[in-house]
Amino acid sequence: MEGSDTYLIRPNHQHKFKPTIVKEHVREVLRERLSGVQYDPEEVPELSRSLAESIKVKVKNAGFDRYKLVVQVVIGEQRGQGVKMSSRCLWDADTDSYAEDVFMNDNLFCVVAVFGSYYY
Amino acid sequence: MPGDKKTTKEDTWRPAELGRYIREEERDDGYARRPADNERRQRGGESTVRHHRNTEKESGREREKVRESTRERRTEDKKDRYAERRKEESHDRRDDKERDRREEQEREKRRQRDRLVDENKYSGSFRENREKGRNREDKYDRERDRERHRDKDKERVRDGHREEERDKTREDRDKERRREERDRDREHRSERRRHEESRDGRREHTEKQTRDRHHEREQHKNEDKRNDKEVQQRHKDRKHSEWREARDYKEEHQKHKEERDRRHKERGHHDEKQKHDSREHRDSKRSGEEVRLNRGDGERRQREYEDRERKHSERGYKEEDDGERKHRERRLRTEEEDGEKKHRERRHGEEDGEKKYKETRHRAEDDQERNNRDRTSSNKSSSVRSHKPENNMAEKEEVEMASEQTTAYVKDDGHTEDSVVNDEEWANEEYEDDFEDYEEDFEEMDESASRGEDDQEPLQPLVGEEKKELTAQQRKELEAIQRAMDAENERVDTTHSKHSMSREEEDWPQHSRGFEKSQSRASNRGKFIDFVAAKHREVSKKVATKQKKRSTELLRLIDLDFSLTFSLLDLPPVNEYDMYIRSFGTANTKQAYVQCNEDNTERDIQTDETEMCEKWTQHPPEHIGACGDPNLSQEARDRTISDMNLDSQRLTSFLRSASQVMVVLLEEDQAERKSLRTLRTQTDVLSFSDGSLQLNTKLPFLIGRQISLVHFSQVQRHTMMSVHMPKMKPGTVHFDSCTLICIWNIWEPSRPQKILVYESEVQCCCFSPGKAILVFAGTSVGSVVLWDLREPSSNHDHVKIEEDDWTFRHPTFSTDAVMAASGHFSAVTSVEVVPSIVAGGPEVPILASEEESSGLSFQLASLDESGVLNFWVVVELPKGNEAGSPTDLGLWPGGRVKLLHSSSLLTAERVSPRDVMKTRPSQTLLLKFLPTDSNHFFIGTNMGLVNHGTTHGLKAPPKCYRFQEAIVRPVDVSSINFSPFGQHLFLVGCADGNMRLHAVSHEQPVAEWINSTAGESVLTLQWSQTRPTVFCVLDAASNLHIWDLLKNDTQPVVTEKISHDRVTAMAVFGDSGQQNTYSGIALAHESGKIEMHYFTRSFTASTSADEEKLQSLMA
Repeated sequence: MEGSDTYLIRPNHQHKFKPTIVKEHVREVLRERLSGVQYDPEEVPELSRSLAESIKVKVKNAGFDRYKLVVQVVIGEQRGQGVKMSSRCLWDADTDSYAEDVFMNDNLFCVVAVFGSYYY
Repeated sequence: MPGDKKTTKEDTWRPAELGRYIREEERDDGYARRPADNERRQRGGESTVRHHRNTEKESGREREKVRESTRERRTEDKKDRYAERRKEESHDRRDDKERDRREEQEREKRRQRDRLVDENKYSGSFRENREKGRNREDKYDRERDRERHRDKDKERVRDGHREEERDKTREDRDKERRREERDRDREHRSERRRHEESRDGRREHTEKQTRDRHHEREQHKNEDKRNDKEVQQRHKDRKHSEWREARDYKEEHQKHKEERDRRHKERGHHDEKQKHDSREHRDSKRSGEEVRLNRGDGERRQREYEDRERKHSERGYKEEDDGERKHRERRLRTEEEDGEKKHRERRHGEEDGEKKYKETRHRAEDDQERNNRDRTSSNKSSSVRSHKPENNMAEKEEVEMASEQTTAYVKDDGHTEDSVVNDEEWANEEYEDDFEDYEEDFEEMDESASRGEDDQEPLQPLVGEEKKELTAQQRKELEAIQRAMDAENERVDTTHSKHSMSREEEDWPQHSRGFEKSQSRASNRGKFIDFVAAKHREVSKKVATKQKKRSTELLRLIDLDFSLTFSLLDLPPVNEYDMYIRSFGTANTKQAYVQCNEDNTERDIQTDETEMCEKWTQHPPEHIGACGDPNLSQEARDRTISDMNLDSQRLTSFLRSASQVMVVLLEEDQAERKSLRTLRTQTDVLSFSDGSLQLNTKLPFLIGRQISLVHFSQVQRHTMMSVHMPKMKPGTVHFDSCTLICIWNIWEPSRPQKILVYESEVQCCCFSPGKAILVFAGTSVGSVVLWDLREPSSNHDHVKIEEDDWTFRHPTFSTDAVMAASGHFSAVTSVEVVPSIVAGGPEVPILASEEESSGLSFQLASLDESGVLNFWVVVELPKGNEAGSPTDLGLWPGGRVKLLHSSSLLTAERVSPRDVMKTRPSQTLLLKFLPTDSNHFFIGTNMGLVNHGTTHGLKAPPKCYRFQEAIVRPVDVSSINFSPFGQHLFLVGCADGNMRLHAVSHEQPVAEWINSTAGESVLTLQWSQTRPTVFCVLDAASNLHIWDLLKNDTQPVVTEKISHDRVTAMAVFGDSGQQNTYSGIALAHESGKIEMHYFTRSFTASTSADEEKLQSLMA
C-alpha cells in the first residue's frame, strides 16, 4: 500500500453494462447468423464458438468500459424435449449484470448469456 | 531432463507455490519475497543443470550446443525433452569423444531424440525395451545370475506390460548390441546426468553432493579414459573407494537431510562455492584426491570437501558393510518396487520407460565402464533400485507437480518412498553387493567400455578449462541463482513437507548418488536464456502480488452477493400430440376458412356477419317523426328529428295559412253561387236581407241541439262561435250531454273550424281580445273555463263520425272544483274580457297590442247570479306539460294557458227591505265593461236596472240606469249593448219588451221605447257594426226588428216575423273596413241551423247623418 490507492469501483453511468443494449446486439447477431439454420451436430460446436466470439466482439465494441465479458452460447436441437437452463452468479450486483437472449427456430434453440463483470 | 525439471518444476510449482504463497502470505508477510526467490531458484535449477552439462561436456562448443539443445528441448514436450536430453547428452559425450563429428552427432541426436520421443511417448517404447532387453542380455551375458534375476524381476514388472516388445527387442539385441552399447554408454551417462539433473532441479541441495560425486566420477571417467583398460582396473579401486565414498555419501545424505534444514540458509553460499569448486575440481582434479587438494582453495571449498569426504568415507563404510545386505534387500525391494512400479507404470508409462531405460542403460554402462558401473551399480542396484525409485520418485514428483493429481501420487510415492527409505539402507548395502557383482561383470566388459571411454578421455581437460572461464565470469550470477535455488528448495520442502519431506530425504541421497554422475555440471550451463523467462515470471509474480493487494483492498469496498437464479431458458417438453401435429399436422391440408370471431368456433360464424338494422314507421305520424332508426346514432336521430321539426313546423304553418286561404276561397266561391241562388228566394222572405248563407250545422253531433248563443269576435269579425246546448234527450251520439261550442269562419261555412266540448251547460262565452285564440265560457255550475284554440289537435279526442275526423277539444283550463274557495258558487251569468284600456290612460289600439302580445296580458271578469264578480288573470305558460301539471289540476295535459284568480267583488246591491218585499231577490244577469274604460262596469239586474260600478276607485256618479219613470219594476235586463261608434251610448233590452237608450253619464235614458215589440221579451238587441244609427232587436216571438234611428226613432223600420223556424239567437256581424264593407245578421234557428243574412245596402252604408243623429241623441 504505497501511497493511497484510488479505485474506480463504480462504472460511469454511460459505460455501465446495460442488458437491454447487449440483448439487442445479441439478438442481432443471432438473427443474422441463425435464421434458417438447421441443426447439424457436426457444425454446431464451431458455430457456437464463432457465435460467442462475434457476440463478444460486438459487445466489446458497445463501450462497456472496464468490463470483463463472459459469453456463453448453448445451441441445442429441438426435438420436443424439455430444457431448463439457469445461471447463478457471485458478483457485485451494483456493477455486474447479464443479458440473455433466446433464439428459436423449428429445429434448434440457442441460448446466449452474456455476463458483464466490472473490473475494478 | 533438466529442462523438463525446470518446466515441470515451474508448472508444478505454480499451483503448489501459489497455494503455499497464499497460505504463507496469509500467515506471514515475510513470504512476499518468495516469488522472486522461486524464480531465481528456478533459474538456478536450470543453471545448475546446465553447469552440470557443461562440466560433463567440458567443451565450450559443446556447451553452446547443449544450450541450443536445451533450448530446443524446452520447446519440446517434457517427454521429448527427457529423451532429447538423454540423447543430447550422449551426443555431447560423443562430441567429447568425437569433437570432429559434431554435425553427425547432431543428426544422431535428432534421430535419437525422435526415438526417445517415441520411447517416452510410449512410456516403455520399443527402443527402450530393446535397449533394456539388450541391457538385460548384456547383463545376462556379463552379469551373473543374480542380476538376471533382478532383471527378470524388473522385466517381469515391465514385461508384464510389454512382453511382446521384449521379444522383439531380444531378437534384435544381438545385431544391434555394439551400436547400442555405445548408445548405452552415452545414454547411461546421460541418464545419470538426468538423474542428477532431475535431482538438481528438484533439490539443489543434493546437487552439491551429486556434484561432488560427479566430480569424482568424472575424474574417474577421465582417468578411465586415459588409462584405458588398465585404468578400468584402477577404476575398480577407485570405484571401491568411490563406492565407499558413495556409502559415506548416503550416510552423509541422511545426516545431510537432517542438516539440510539447518543449512538451507547457509547453502546459498555453499552451493555457489560447491559449484565453483566442482568446476574447479573438474578442472584441477582428475582424481578424487586432487579434489581434496583443492579444499585448500577456500574455506567454502574446504567445507564442501569435508562434506564430500564424509560422504565418501561414509559411503565406503556402507558399501563394505551393506554389500551383502543390499543384495538381498534388493530383491525384496525390487519385488516391492515391482508392485509399486506397476502402479507407477500404469500411471506413468513414461516414468517406467525412463526407469527401464535408465536401468537398462545403467546396466549396459555398468558393463562397459566400471566407473559407470560403480555409479550405475549404485544407480542400478541402489540407483536402479534405490535410484530408479528415486528417479521414479523424482520423476514422479515432477510429474506430480506437473499433473495436479499430486495427492494421489504423493501417496503412492509416499509408499514407494517409504519402501525406498527402507530401500536406501538396503541400497547402501546392496550397493556393495551390486558393485561386487558389477565389478565382476564389468571386468568382462571393461574392454568395450574402455574403448568408448578412451574416446572421451581427451575431451575432459578442455571442458574443465572452459568451465573455469565460465565460472569465473558467472560467479555472481550463480551465487544469486543458488540463493534463489535454496529459497526454492526451502519452499519445496515446506510445501511438500508432509509428503515430500520423507521423499526428499530418501531421494536426496539417491539423487546425490545419481548426481555423482557427470550431469550435475551440465546443469550449470545455459542460465542466460532462463533469465528472460525468470524475469517474466518475476514480473508476473509482481503483477500477481499487486493484483492480490488490489483485490484485498477492493474486497473491503465491494459487496459480492449471490445473484438470483436467472432462468435462461425454460423450454417445456412438447407433448406427443403437438409433436405429431408439428411434424405431420400440415400434411395434406389446405386452408378453407379463416376464423374471424376467434372465441366462437362454430363454423357459421366464420363468415361475414349479416348486416341488419331496425327501422320503424308510424302511421298516422302523430309524433314528430314518422320513421326512425334505433341503430342510428343519437346524433343522426336528433338531426333528422330537428330537420323534420323544422320542415313540419314551417310546412304546417304554411299549410295552415295557405289551406285556410284556399278553403276560404273555395267556400266563398261555393257560397257565392249558393247565396246567389238562394238569395233570391230569401229576399222574398227577409226584406232587409241582401243575401244569406247557411252554416253547415247539419253535422251529426250538432243535429238536434239548440243554439243558445251566437257570438262574433270583436277583432276577427269573420270568426263566430255558436253555443249548442246539450240535447234534451241524451242519445248514444257522442257528447250528447255536453255543450258543444263551434268556432266558425263565416267564409268557411261548410264546417266549424274547432269544436269545443264542455260537460255542463254554458251560460255565456266570449273571445279573447285581439285574435280569437282563446275562448272563455261561464257555466251553469259556476266554473269558468277556457279553451286554447292554438293547441294541436293531437292533444284532444278524435272522433270519427261518418267518415270525418272531428277533434273535440276539452277546456284547456277549468276552475271546476279547483278554486272552490275563490270561485263562483252560482251559475256564471256573464264572462267579459276586461279591456286593457284604462280611462285617462293612453288609448292603445287593442288589436295591435294584443296581437303582438298574444293577447295574454289581460284580465277576465266573471259574474255569477249572486253578484260575485271575479277577476282572473290569464297566464300563458312558456311550455305545456304533456303529462299534466301536478300543481294546476285544472289544466288540461299539454295546456299552456291558465287562469289565476286575481280578486273578487260583490256587486249585488243592498236592496232595501221594502224593495225586497216587492220583488224577487236581486240577481245580476249581465256584465258589460265600458269599452273605453275598464274601470267602469255595468251590470244588468233582474230589477230592470243597470248598475254602474267601478273596479277600483270611487263610485261613478250614476249609480244605476233606470227607466224613465222612477218606478222599479221587477223585470230582467236581458241585453245590454254598447254602440261601437258612440262609445258612451248603450242599449238596454228588458224582458218586458222595454228598450232604453242610455248615455253613460245619465241615470235617465236618452230614449225609451215601450211596447216596440208588442210586449214580447227582448232576447237580444245589438247595434249594427257598420251604421251607427241602426240596431237589431230579436224578441222572444221570433220577431226581428231593425231600427234605423235616422229614419225613424219611434218604431223599427223593418220588422220581420220568422215564424216557421223560430230564431233563438241572433248576432250582428259586419266590418266597416274600407274596401269590403259588409254587414249582416246571423240567425240561429230553433232547428239548429244558422243563417247568415247580409244586410241590404241601406242598412250597411253609413252616412254622416248617422253620426250627427247619434250626437244629437247623446246630447
